[in-house]
Amino acid sequence: MMRAERGTPGTSDGERSPEGRSEPRTLRVADERLLVTAGAGGVGKTTIAASLAVGAALAGRRVAVLTIDPARRLADALGLGQLTGELRRVDPALLERAARTTRAASEGTRGELWAMMLDVHTTSDQMVRRFAPDAETARTILENKYYRYFSTSLSGSQEYMAIEQVRTLAADGRFDLIVLDTPPAADALEFLDAPDRLIEALDSKAVQMLQNGRSGGFGARLLGRGRDLIMRSLNTLTGGQFLEELIEFMAVFGSILDALKTASEAVHHLLRAPTSRFLLVTTPTASNVEEALHFQTTLAERGLPFGGFIANRVHVAYPEVPEILLPDLARTLALEAPLAARQALVERLHSALRAHNRMAERDGAALERLAEAGGHPPGVVPLFPLDVRDLAGLARVAAHLER
Amino acid sequence: MRLPPILQRRFVLVTGKGGVGKSTVTAVLARLSARAGRRTLVCELNTRERIPGLFGQPPVGGEVTRIADNLWSVNIQPALAMEEYALMKLRFRTLYRLVFENPVVRGMVGVIPGVHHLLMLGKAFNHEREVESDGRPTWDTIIVDAPATGHGLTFFQLPRIIRDAVPAGNLHREAADMWALLTDPRRTAVHLVTLPEELPVRETVELHQRLTRDLGMPLGCLFVNMMPPPLLEAAQAELFAHLTEAPSDPYLATLWAAGRIRLGREALAGSYRRQLADLALPLIELPTQYSRDFGPEQISLLSDRALEQIR
Repeated sequence: MMRAERGTPGTSDGERSPEGRSEPRTLRVADERLLVTAGAGGVGKTTIAASLAVGAALAGRRVAVLTIDPARRLADALGLGQLTGELRRVDPALLERAARTTRAASEGTRGELWAMMLDVHTTSDQMVRRFAPDAETARTILENKYYRYFSTSLSGSQEYMAIEQVRTLAADGRFDLIVLDTPPAADALEFLDAPDRLIEALDSKAVQMLQNGRSGGFGARLLGRGRDLIMRSLNTLTGGQFLEELIEFMAVFGSILDALKTASEAVHHLLRAPTSRFLLVTTPTASNVEEALHFQTTLAERGLPFGGFIANRVHVAYPEVPEILLPDLARTLALEAPLAARQALVERLHSALRAHNRMAERDGAALERLAEAGGHPPGVVPLFPLDVRDLAGLARVAAHLER
Repeated sequence: MRLPPILQRRFVLVTGKGGVGKSTVTAVLARLSARAGRRTLVCELNTRERIPGLFGQPPVGGEVTRIADNLWSVNIQPALAMEEYALMKLRFRTLYRLVFENPVVRGMVGVIPGVHHLLMLGKAFNHEREVESDGRPTWDTIIVDAPATGHGLTFFQLPRIIRDAVPAGNLHREAADMWALLTDPRRTAVHLVTLPEELPVRETVELHQRLTRDLGMPLGCLFVNMMPPPLLEAAQAELFAHLTEAPSDPYLATLWAAGRIRLGREALAGSYRRQLADLALPLIELPTQYSRDFGPEQISLLSDRALEQIR
């Protein structure tokens, strides 16, 4: 039924911006090695990330796009059926065909497009195996019940595991560009802070001692002055066995912490490298724009490089139709119906136009705010009547962003 | 105003994919509850606050603050929630300081994934148990603007995970109590929010399945936000259908295009709306507001629309 819709004029591309208009380029993807898309939930981060990757691949770069969104749609759009924790290459023939559907695509060498989804389970298991000093320790960790609890069940674990994945991809010489899609804003902050939190935690006295001690009951000794009271208090809060077991687990886990810390530091620097850029994606609604502006401040506070705003699903205004003309227009409307009926119809159509243009006006104000805060105009992707659902769609979005 | 039974449960959770309008629905439910004379508390979870703004008020921060008649709001902060909980259990601030200012303890709390979400859920849970000096519950309704689907599911599961992972003691008991509340159809309702679009609908179907089959949580209503209201009456639509090509007059052509796009969106939304009917949940449509601003006026209007549809 979606296909039937697609053929109708009402659901055509929806690009109504004047052709050949040359706006200042907002995104210069050529020099970047790492692009991170961030923003509120539902603004289209994943689609934008994929589009940027498609655009760069069409321009000849070797690109890996890493998504955190488990949504199937990106996989479908990339023609991969399913995204997994393994990097998979998008069929070059599909990419080429998509290139031909947009006028933006020039002839020339295509790059490569690879994609993967962050698979929490696999990634963390791999991490343990890689960093554990020996197979026996790895097995002990992997079989520990708290390990399972940390690595699979709880929100927050993705952030830790993503760190490792990004680092691995960046270290892998196969790619010129990594495009990283992040969880929705609040969680994205957790995500961005994860490396630093780990570094901080791993620098703590607790962990240094964890790495030294392995014997039972040592946990309490770590706590130093007042330890009995502290242990008793914590036991009141949690329950005794839990804490002992947790500390025991941390002790085993401590054996891979050094390696994890090195990885975290590498990511910390990678995110702040001169070739890294954060692109803040938003829709033009007031609350999402607020969130994007807030996020920009947050980036600055953390010394993370802001690369620009991208406004997605922007209403492009229709030309105005003066209300005073409506009676005349109704008369010229070639329909076999009483004038009153034609008039009523024209008025309804006019109300649809006005409703749309009110939204366009709102969006225009949002774009101005973003331009002011961002220092240059945001990348603009118009509202398409249909979801972007294939490579050609992604290439079309990329073309908008390259304008 | 009397509330329909589905809106009379005490503990209300609002969830859905990111960006579908959870806060809008939270505000609508809060307004209906408060105007029905129920003392209502809205909990946002450590986020950029949306609820006070939708009632024309500035952000309230971590303290429970009145934002309208019968309506209070709080933006739950994990650190404050932890302090509150620990003080409740340990009784003494000096003891709290000794424990939680210990670098080892702080390090542990900081690295354990999920601990922040658990603390926030725990605070909302404590408000549910809160009573006045005469023993009456402080709140008639507590509405939690829960995290978006992906994280929402792990969020809802937390108490069960902790209950099963932690063998005994306070934490185990608290988690077990929390899980009992979350799965109690007399006290709790989980309202789902979605948009009449492909991805949100697909996620809603999955979410519905996981909440009912895997988690056994009691569902309330399904809110379909931003339904384009019908532009034309049936006879007008029929008339318009005769215009198969753009009129040659440029003004008429523009009007025609605006109508086509809008009707196309309506048809698409309608088809997604029909897919949702399979879920057998009371379905409430919230019409798109084509206004520049979105605030108290829109919430009031949407509340009226919602109430008309809830039995």
